Amino acid sequence: MKLPVVQFTEEQHQFRATVRQFLQQQQAQGTYTTKCDSWLSGSNPAFSKRIGEQGWIGITWPKKYGGAECSALDRYILIEEFLAAGAPVAAHWIADRQTGPLLLRYGTEEQKQTFLPEIIKGTCYFAIGLSEPNSGSDLASISTRAEKVAGGWLVNGSKTWTSNAHDAHYMITLVRTEPFDGTAKHKGLSQLIIDLHAEGVTIKPIRYLTGKPHFNEIFFDNVFVPDNRVVGGLGNGWEQGLAELAFERSGPERILSTLPLLQELIKELKAQQNEVALQEVASLVARLWSLRNLSIGVAQVLAQGGEVAVPAALVKSIGTKFEQSIPEIARLLTATFPRLDAERALDRYMAEAILHGPGFTIRGGTTEVLYGIVAKGVVANE
Amino acid sequence: MSDMKDILVTTIERIYKKHVTKEVVDVVETGGWASAVWGILTDSEIVNVALAEEHGGAGGDITDLLGLYHITGKYAVPIPVIEATLANLILQQCGGKPTANNATIHLQKGVQIKGGQATAIVANVPWARHVEELVTVAEIDNQLAIIHVSLQDADITLQQNLASEPRDTVVLKQAQILQQYPITAQKWQLFTCWHTAAKNAQMVGAIDRVFELTVRYTKEREQFGRPLHRFQLVQQHIAHLAGEQAMASAAFENMSAALLKGTALDEVAYTTICLDEAIRTVTASAHQVHAAVGVTHEHRLHQYTRRLWAWREEGFTASYWKKERANALLTATEEDFWTYLTSTK
Ligand SMILES: Cc1cc2nc3c(=O)[nH]c(=O)nc-3n(C[C@H](O)[C@H](O)[C@H](O)COP(=O)(O)OP(=O)(O)OC[C@H]3O[C@@H](n4cnc5c(N)ncnc54)[C@H](O)[C@@H]3O)c2cc1C
Repeated sequence: MKLPVVQFTEEQHQFRATVRQFLQQQQAQGTYTTKCDSWLSGSNPAFSKRIGEQGWIGITWPKKYGGAECSALDRYILIEEFLAAGAPVAAHWIADRQTGPLLLRYGTEEQKQTFLPEIIKGTCYFAIGLSEPNSGSDLASISTRAEKVAGGWLVNGSKTWTSNAHDAHYMITLVRTEPFDGTAKHKGLSQLIIDLHAEGVTIKPIRYLTGKPHFNEIFFDNVFVPDNRVVGGLGNGWEQGLAELAFERSGPERILSTLPLLQELIKELKAQQNEVALQEVASLVARLWSLRNLSIGVAQVLAQGGEVAVPAALVKSIGTKFEQSIPEIARLLTATFPRLDAERALDRYMAEAILHGPGFTIRGGTTEVLYGIVAKGVVANE
Repeated sequence: MSDMKDILVTTIERIYKKHVTKEVVDVVETGGWASAVWGILTDSEIVNVALAEEHGGAGGDITDLLGLYHITGKYAVPIPVIEATLANLILQQCGGKPTANNATIHLQKGVQIKGGQATAIVANVPWARHVEELVTVAEIDNQLAIIHVSLQDADITLQQNLASEPRDTVVLKQAQILQQYPITAQKWQLFTCWHTAAKNAQMVGAIDRVFELTVRYTKEREQFGRPLHRFQLVQQHIAHLAGEQAMASAAFENMSAALLKGTALDEVAYTTICLDEAIRTVTASAHQVHAAVGVTHEHRLHQYTRRLWAWREEGFTASYWKKERANALLTATEEDFWTYLTSTK
């Protein structure tokens, strides 16, 4: 598996500095506080609007929809800075990361014109409607169904674990548009854009283990979805969903969810002049460096239309374990008393990293499932 | 990667495929070496690839050599390839004259110079018994120098590393100095980076091979009526191997690219530390999947795993680079770690 070596240009370094400076200013003004895992658990629509005003959502998309036609690497730099700053970008994250690219690839012109400019403004958010109560890893077994009626589809069933659905306006929802066939369960699946405020949609929050809202259960009771809200081909939902997963799995958010903690740890060990502890930290830094290179390489191949399912699964499986390892190593190197409301930043980041950690290796495909994908890919290629 | 490097690597791989059988690798265990393969490399002047044209080379660079080391690691060829080529590259970089004889290299400090002659006991000198000269580092009046000495009158005690490769003890007694060049601290850093990068290249080659051997074995071997790769726990081993192999390979490629532009201290350090972890996982998983056959002398696997276990302890090791990194973090002037990390990439 050979990935390209990417070197950022002078303009790209400049862009990084600009984003960093903006985020530092926002933080100084009290617009947000740095948190671990803020890209998924830090939903803040007001902040997303500000990011939209900066022109920093959908920056790779065509100008005619309001995008800036920047490169995938520019976007990589942008979101790395969001992650490093622990900024609350969850509200628009999914729309920026995968809904936009999905619509650009498979959507109709009307869909692009309707949704992309709104997403870019930071005022239109999407949720991911895949998992169901009885279908997690075995996603192709879903049972939410859509029946054809005049002018559209009637949807019945439910989704669950839907992150930030309470703030989202729409959900790309995987449904069965043909009867279930146990011998070909990947067939007959389609992606629908469901308006989460439509009649018949009920959203019930599920509290995360911290007690805070994070994900939701969503029930559909004869929800009408017009024909023009089908994405791509009818029955092509599985293939389209797989394409989305490459975007979902290989990005820097699979490496940097606990970066604020690593930053703070290094700051503290430096202040202590603790050379021995910093030698341990060097192992984390080396791994981070290598993972970044891998992930940036994948981003480059993905941008050129290459096949990255296996390396993306690799990045996610290794990267999320790395994210989880940071608090475990940090607690051995310095005294901490983790608390979500602690004054001391290190204690707070520790608490966030520990409490959000278990989800890292589950969401977006569990590590076990990813290992299967990697092994099968490798065996087929070697 | 330059076109030249592509051609070079393909050419060398063709030579190795043809000449480096398991038996050729095994020769090292009875005190021999792959002299015939070495003859092909020297006759074809592949070993001079990174030397300037005025020195009979092809005007390549350190990354061409890294390509050569990588493929040599992948075939476990028992030849002093890193040693001879790096010795010459370092002599050239000091403004000296590369040697036409085979030289080995050893960059641990400790040699003393008195009255223009070198005296020291130098342990773990690779391939000393098979070569004529040594390029090493010495302290002269508190200043570091690269010196080039003849091994003609040296006492050589035969010793070997875990993989049976020669790591001899050399006693220099007022050895005649052929060339001597004082070096700056920067140059010393560059040479430590080259030396480490060379070893890293070789280790990545061996990791690639262990990965290949293991995946192939899971397809060939059947138990309970199906190939091993169909078992989920074996798949987990494959995934771990693939992960570490991908990390190692990405680290190596990025390190090489950085070396084209300069000393690449950060990249060399990070790569070495990553490889340390990779070796732990890769050797353990590979042996577990091969089970009994993999721990026999008959099987090829140990030709690579033993080398990995040996090489990781040689030269500038991961623990050396961890200390160096701790120091770099302590003295970094950037306002925070992320700024520091992204200042190079
Ligand atoms: C924080 C968080 C946010 C999430 N957000 C969303 C979201 O926005 N939208 C959405 O649709 N979903 C979301 N999910 C759901 C997530 O995608 C699923 O949790 C995940 O796919 C696993 O499904 P499951 O929880 O039903 O576990 P199961 O599939 O029941 O798995 C249970 C255990 O069995 C293992 N297992 C299952 N099958 C296999 C197999 N074939 N081989 C080996 N081991 C196996 C799993 O690895 C796991 O360890 C979120 C989850 C979390 C934790």
